[in-house]
Amino acid sequence: MTLLAFTFLLAFLPTESASSKYLPKAAISSPVFGPRQVYGLLNGSVTVKCFYPPTSVNRHDRKYWCRESATGCMTIVSTSGYTAPGYKGRASITDDPQAESFQIHISELTMADAGTYQCGVGINSRGLCHKVSLDVSKGPHVPEGAELFYVKLHSTLTMSCSFGKDYESWRKFLCKMEKKGCRNIIDSYGNVDKDYTGRTLLSNEDLPGSFSVVITQMGWEDSGLYLCGVGVYGEKGETKELDVHVYEESHVPQGKPTIIGVKESSVTFECRYDSLKNSSKYWCKWRKNGCARIIDNSGYVSPLYEGRVAMFDNPDNKTITIILNQLKDSDKGYYWCMTDEEKEQQSSTELEIIDGQPGLKGEKDVEVQVGSRVDLTCSYPCKYYSYQKYWCKWGGISCTPMPASDQKQPGPDVTCDTDNKTVILSFDSVTKSDKGWYWCGVKRNGLWGETMAVQLRVTEGRNADHNLDVLNVDNPNPAESGFIPQGRAYSDAGVDSPAASESSDQSPNVSTISAVSVAGAILIILAAAFAVFKYRQLKRSDLVSIGSYRTNISMSDFESGKEYSATNNACVKETQETQIGGDEFVTTAAAPESAAETKKAKRSSKEDADLAYSTFLLTSNSIAQGDARGDSAAPDVSPPNWEG
Amino acid sequence: MKSSLLLCVALAVSSGLILVAGDPQDSENKEHVLVNNKCQCVTVTSKFVPSKENPDEEILERNIRILVPLKARENISDPMSPLRTTFVYRMTELCKKCNPVEIELGGEIYQAQQSTSCNEPETCYTYNRDKCYTTTFPFIYHGETRDVKAVLTPASCYAD
Repeated sequence: MTLLAFTFLLAFLPTESASSKYLPKAAISSPVFGPRQVYGLLNGSVTVKCFYPPTSVNRHDRKYWCRESATGCMTIVSTSGYTAPGYKGRASITDDPQAESFQIHISELTMADAGTYQCGVGINSRGLCHKVSLDVSKGPHVPEGAELFYVKLHSTLTMSCSFGKDYESWRKFLCKMEKKGCRNIIDSYGNVDKDYTGRTLLSNEDLPGSFSVVITQMGWEDSGLYLCGVGVYGEKGETKELDVHVYEESHVPQGKPTIIGVKESSVTFECRYDSLKNSSKYWCKWRKNGCARIIDNSGYVSPLYEGRVAMFDNPDNKTITIILNQLKDSDKGYYWCMTDEEKEQQSSTELEIIDGQPGLKGEKDVEVQVGSRVDLTCSYPCKYYSYQKYWCKWGGISCTPMPASDQKQPGPDVTCDTDNKTVILSFDSVTKSDKGWYWCGVKRNGLWGETMAVQLRVTEGRNADHNLDVLNVDNPNPAESGFIPQGRAYSDAGVDSPAASESSDQSPNVSTISAVSVAGAILIILAAAFAVFKYRQLKRSDLVSIGSYRTNISMSDFESGKEYSATNNACVKETQETQIGGDEFVTTAAAPESAAETKKAKRSSKEDADLAYSTFLLTSNSIAQGDARGDSAAPDVSPPNWEG
Repeated sequence: MKSSLLLCVALAVSSGLILVAGDPQDSENKEHVLVNNKCQCVTVTSKFVPSKENPDEEILERNIRILVPLKARENISDPMSPLRTTFVYRMTELCKKCNPVEIELGGEIYQAQQSTSCNEPETCYTYNRDKCYTTTFPFIYHGETRDVKAVLTPASCYAD
């Protein structure tokens, strides 16, 4: 039969080569995680903490600690109440479902206790276990083990490392252990590994010599042993071990890691937040040595993004929508949704810019005189026919809706092709305060879609007004603390070069000297405005300052572009699986390691109906799917969802 | 004696195919999961390994692991059904992708089915840990026989 199966398998195997669309091996390794190595002192004690994905079945299932031997893994202690004879009174196991972990404590260690153990969930060592080796020494002190990080797939990992004041000015780095050495992930000199570009940041912390590294969008490949350190790996300085394990709890909808935007058009980013707390949330563009703040929920907008970016809060589904329009090639890059809270989920999204036609069209720069009538038009293509259309006035960090009229013809015989697909925002009499940015956009089912920004300039036709504008803006600025964006919007409009040149065009009656002096004054004002502008920018942008000089880093750090396959799937080894008994399918004879267990009867009951009485107690629960009809009771086909 | 009680047989098959083209960056040490079917206990992984005959070449090594639950019943939800004696593994079905993918067409996201015939029920040889399996059995109490519902997988059946 086996032979038949082989030939069958080989004949049908598709000849595709392994590519990135397939999950790495780490994805099917055991989701149970703990220390790889623990150290204990002779006659002392040791505590091992193992983590498991907090699914319902995992929280209720048996947890065990067993010792590997030639015949299998012999249970030492388990949450079903069993303790092996030699360990009575000195081994205990505590499950903490809230903390998604369980702890094993062994005291009165002897030299004979050194060896390989497993912590696991379930009734056998298949799939849900983690190998731990215990080292017992006479002392006087024991080595410190690696710090453990148990990270949900696609979430954010924050690691802190502290090495003391002496190392304050040293190079700081994070590297990942691989076969050929330690691959540099990020360092304080601005080097970032290509696999981590856009999703990692290194920042100094308040305490001298300490820093933290944030990695977003943790993937399966990111599991493994990392080292954070000061100096150069293998040469000088100090390092600390960080053991990272990625697990999957369930299939949660994921924000797309890459968004493609059409030049001149707009893109919509969604940021998810875990807590409802009113923490400071901001959106920034990733750079190698920091994240430059673009917009935040306290009212700040980077001057470079005037009129282009807006933030909409949707507290109901704990998301924030950010729209960026007037896209240009330089917008390409990585954008991060950030919060000041440590535990919050941060996310990074890559933006790619492609050439193409924006969906929404209209005149994007409108200039009118005070008191005149103006219509801002926005025509949309048929793909937005069923969408909700709106006009809004950009200001602060948001965009305030304005009443607009859709030129759509009512009636049954009107189709999209024949209809007038235009939305108009009308001003009967434009006033000075109407100037600014207006956005035309589409929306569907509460989701924000494409937008188009129109700049409305209001002139009075007289020369002096522009100068006044600029002055008006400059004077109140330093005093104003919270409301820079609005002010800058005006200063921007006033300082803009078209406005300036136009002002000199419109002054034919002024003599040459006064023209020169006016030009000089404008120049000075421009310079002053620019200085204030730059100062603000420096002050407000969220830059993490890191030494900007470069140094030699051994090239071996960069050569290794591959991963270690996760080594913590050791207990899924084929040899062990055949050796270890104790399976769901055991009916009469239990596996060697579980034979002594008091819970044997309960486990065997799975197949024997007459022993099902113990489980009968559970019947009061709302148990669905109880019918024992033929094959229809087979579980749904969704293999990646399953645990173990 | 003990070995006769072993339930699962692990099979590891390595098939060597000569690599035609491959990115050396990707190929090293990266083992990919082609199939991970927990319903029938099959995993298929593949990775590139240096060829023994020609060190300059890399060959694709494919590892197929099948755990055969020898004490499984014909119908895993019915403990009274006979022991399963035939285990059929159809690679075409195991390699089928039935999870929908999101694709973007003209700025809009659509769900796309990756395969046809994804609605056919699959015969499982083992339990899904996240699912509660129950059965009924006759229970005689004071001479009266009642059909009582019983749980086959207690840990998976908690209501929370």
